[in-house]
Amino acid sequence: MRKVLLAALVIGSILLALYPMVATGYGIRFMLQLFMWVALAQSWNLISGLTGYVSFGHVAFFGTGAYTAAILVATHGWHWAPASFTGGIAGVVLALIIGYPCLRLKGPYFAIAMLGLNEVMRVLVSYFEGLTGGGLGISLPILYASIQIYYAMGLAAIAVTATAYLIISSRFGLRLMTIREDEIAAEAMGVDTARYKLYAFLLSAFIPGVVGGLHARDQGYIEPLSVFPLLTTITMIVMALFGGKGTVWGPVLGATMLFVFQELVWARFLYLHQILFGAIIVFVVLLMPRGILGVLQQRYHLSRSL
Amino acid sequence: MSIFITPAMVGQVVISGLLAGALYSMVALGLALIFGVMRVINIAHGTILMLGAYTTFWWFQLLGINPYLSLLASMPLMFLLGLLLQYTMVTRVVDAPELSSLLLTFGISIALVNLAQLAFTSDLRSVEFLTGAFVLGPIALSKSRLISFAVAVAITLLAFWFLQKTKLGKAIRATSQNSEVAMVCGINVPRIRLYTFGIASALAGAGGSLVAVIFAIQPEMGQVYTFKSFLVIILGGAGNYPGALLGGMLLGLVEQLSSLFLTTQLSEAVAYVLLVLVLLLRPTGLLGGRAR
Amino acid sequence: MQNGHLLELRQVTKRFGGVTAVNCCSFELAPGKIYGLIGPNGSGKTTLFNCITGLEVREEGEIRFKGERIDGLKPHQVAHRGIGRTFQIIRVFPELTALENLLVVTWQPFDAAQDRAQELLRFVTLDRLQNEYAGNLSYGQQKLLEFARILMTDPELILLDEPAAGVNRTLLNELLQAIRNLRARGKTVFIVEHDMKVIMDLSERIFVLNYGEKIAEGPPGLVQSDERVIEAYFGR
Repeated sequence: MRKVLLAALVIGSILLALYPMVATGYGIRFMLQLFMWVALAQSWNLISGLTGYVSFGHVAFFGTGAYTAAILVATHGWHWAPASFTGGIAGVVLALIIGYPCLRLKGPYFAIAMLGLNEVMRVLVSYFEGLTGGGLGISLPILYASIQIYYAMGLAAIAVTATAYLIISSRFGLRLMTIREDEIAAEAMGVDTARYKLYAFLLSAFIPGVVGGLHARDQGYIEPLSVFPLLTTITMIVMALFGGKGTVWGPVLGATMLFVFQELVWARFLYLHQILFGAIIVFVVLLMPRGILGVLQQRYHLSRSL
Repeated sequence: MSIFITPAMVGQVVISGLLAGALYSMVALGLALIFGVMRVINIAHGTILMLGAYTTFWWFQLLGINPYLSLLASMPLMFLLGLLLQYTMVTRVVDAPELSSLLLTFGISIALVNLAQLAFTSDLRSVEFLTGAFVLGPIALSKSRLISFAVAVAITLLAFWFLQKTKLGKAIRATSQNSEVAMVCGINVPRIRLYTFGIASALAGAGGSLVAVIFAIQPEMGQVYTFKSFLVIILGGAGNYPGALLGGMLLGLVEQLSSLFLTTQLSEAVAYVLLVLVLLLRPTGLLGGRAR
Repeated sequence: MQNGHLLELRQVTKRFGGVTAVNCCSFELAPGKIYGLIGPNGSGKTTLFNCITGLEVREEGEIRFKGERIDGLKPHQVAHRGIGRTFQIIRVFPELTALENLLVVTWQPFDAAQDRAQELLRFVTLDRLQNEYAGNLSYGQQKLLEFARILMTDPELILLDEPAAGVNRTLLNELLQAIRNLRARGKTVFIVEHDMKVIMDLSERIFVLNYGEKIAEGPPGLVQSDERVIEAYFGR
C-alpha cells in the first residue's frame, strides 16, 4: 500500500513539474492558487488540527507576509523570492510576539483573540500610510512571473505538507496531539505544553507569510481588505476540516476538492457561490466534522500519516 | 487634531459615548445570553442586526409610518428567525468545541448576507426620519441618537427585568450558570436555549432598527457590530450580564474619546486593540466573569 | 535528602476565593512506603494532590521533594522531577492508540521506549489492544492504561487519585497487587481513596483530612479507632 502511494506521489510530482509546459495561462494560475490554498490549509492544520487551538485569524500571517514582501519589492527593489521568504519570517515574528500571551487563553478566547488580532493588523496596515500606502494599497512593478510563482507556490505546498508529515509521524506530533486531547493530563505527564504550542504556532505562521508574499507578487496589487479578510481564514479552515484535520493529506484533499468546485462550478455566480459556500460550511460542521480522511481513519484504522 | 480641548468638547464626547454605548450594551446583551447559555460564539449576531435594519427600512419605505414603530415588526421577526436558526442548526453545536459554533454561525452569516445582497442589492439605503439635534448650551445632541439611546435603555431595562423577575428569565440565568443542574431541577434546557437565541436575535434586531435611523444600511453592516459585541462581553466578562451593560458604555466612551485624540482610522483600531489587550491581561473581563 | 524524607509538606495552605481548601497541612513521606490519604468529600484531598503536582499554586507553605522545593514549579517540571499521578476521572488520550499513550510520556529513544511500552502493556494485559484508540477501550481497560502510563514515566513517587473508583473486584485485585509490586521495587505510593477496605489493607501509614486540615495520622489500626476521624465521617 505504501509503495503504491509513494509511486503515485512521485508520478504526481513529476506531472505537476512538467505541467507548465503544456498549460495555458489560466491553467497555470489555477494550479498556482490551488497550491496556495493547500499551503494555507495545511499551515492551519499544523496548529489547530494538531493542538486543537483554533486559530481564527490565521490570515493575519498571510497579510503580514504579503505586505512585507510588497514593501520590499515595490519600495526597495528586492526580488520577489527573497522578499516572500522575508514575508514568512515576518509572519513568524508576529506569531512570536502574540503567541506566548495568546496561547495561554482557553478555547473560545483564543479564537476571538486571533480574530481581533487580524483586525488589528488590518487597521494598523491602513494607518501607516507612508509605509503601506494605507487604504490605497501597494502596486508592485509589472512582472510576468506566473510560471516561477507556480513553482514557488508548489514548493511552499510541498514544504508545509512535508513538515506536517514529519511532525505527525513523530513523537513531537503525538505530544502536540495530547494538548488537543487533554492539556492538563499532557502537562501532568511531563509535556511542556506552553513551549510545544508555541513551536507549532511559529511553524504554522511561516508558510502563510511566504505564500502571502508570493500572492502579492502574483496579483501585482494588494490592499488591506484583500489580504486580511476573514473569509480567507474561514476558507482555509473549512478546507482543512473537509479533508480531515489532524491528518497529513486531509488539508491537501480538502483544499483541492473545494478549490476545484469553487473555480469550476460556482465562480460564475458570486452571490450564489457565497450562499452555497455558507451551506457547505454548515454541512461540514454539522455532518462531517472529522472530514473525509478523519472518518476513513476511524473506520478503517488507517495511519494518521496518511 | 485640535490642540485645545475644551470641557465642552469633552462633555460632548462623553455624552455621545454614552448614547452609543447604550446601543452596544443592548446588542451585546444578546450575544452574552447566547454565549452564557450555550457556549456558542454567534458570528451571525451582527447579520441579524442587519436584517432588523432592513426590516425598518422596508417598513418606512412601504408603510411610511414612524420607523421607530417598526420595532414592533423587527423584534418579533428576528425572534422567530432566531428560533428557526436555533431549532434547525445551532442546537447541534451547543457544548461542542468552539470551532463548530464559530464556523456554523459564520456559514449562516455568509448565507444570510449574500441572500440580502441578492434581495436588496448592496446599494446604500437610509431612513430619513429624524434629522437635526437638540442643543443644550455648547452641547449638541443628535435627535436620532438620543431617541435610539432612550429606546435602547428601555429595552435593556425590560430585558433585565425579564431576566430577574420572570420564571423564564430565571430559568435562563440558571441554565447559563450550570445547564446540567438546571436540567436536574426540571428546567427544559433545550427549550430555554431556543428562547434564548430568539430573545438575543430580537435584541439584535432592535439594535438594527435603531441603527437604521442613524446610519446607512447595507448587507455587510453587521460584521462590525458582531466584533463590538464580542469586545463588550469580553470587557464585561463572559457570562456576566450586568457586565455587558458596563462594557457597552465603556466601549462607547472609549470610542468617542479616542476619536478626539486620534484619527478616525486609529480610533477604529482602538476597539480591536482593546479586545486583544483585555483578553491577554484579564480574560475574565474587567469586572470578572467566569474564567472559562 | 537531608532528613530522609522523600516528600515534605510544611504548612501548605490553598485558598479559592473565600474557601480555604487546604489549611496549614504538614506531611512527611519516607521513601519506599505506601501512604493513604482519606477524608470526607470536599476535605481537600485532590487539592492537596494538585498542589504537590503543580496544577495549583499553594498560597502559603513549602513543598519539598528529595530536599528541594517544588512548589511553584509547573506541572511538567514536577513530572520530570519524578512525581507521577493519576486522576479521579480517567484522563487517557482518547484519539491516540494505547501504545501511543505510553510512547508519548517518555523521552527515551524511540526503540527503547517502544520495547518498554509493549512490555508494560503486556503487564496490564492490554498488549493485544495496543493499536486500538484509547477512547474505544472500556472503563476498566482505560484505568489499566492510565496505570501503565504512570509506570512508563518511571516516577519515584506515585500519587493515585481514587484508583479503585468504578473498578470491579477482579481488576481491583490486580491493581492492588501491582501497587504492592511498586513498593517492592522501592517506589513510594500516596493514595487517595474512599474505599476503606482498600486503603486499610494497602497503606502503612494514613493521613486524615477534614475541611482542609490534617486531623489524624498513623498506622491504619490507630486511625480507624481515632475519635476525631470517626466524628469527621459520621458526625457525633
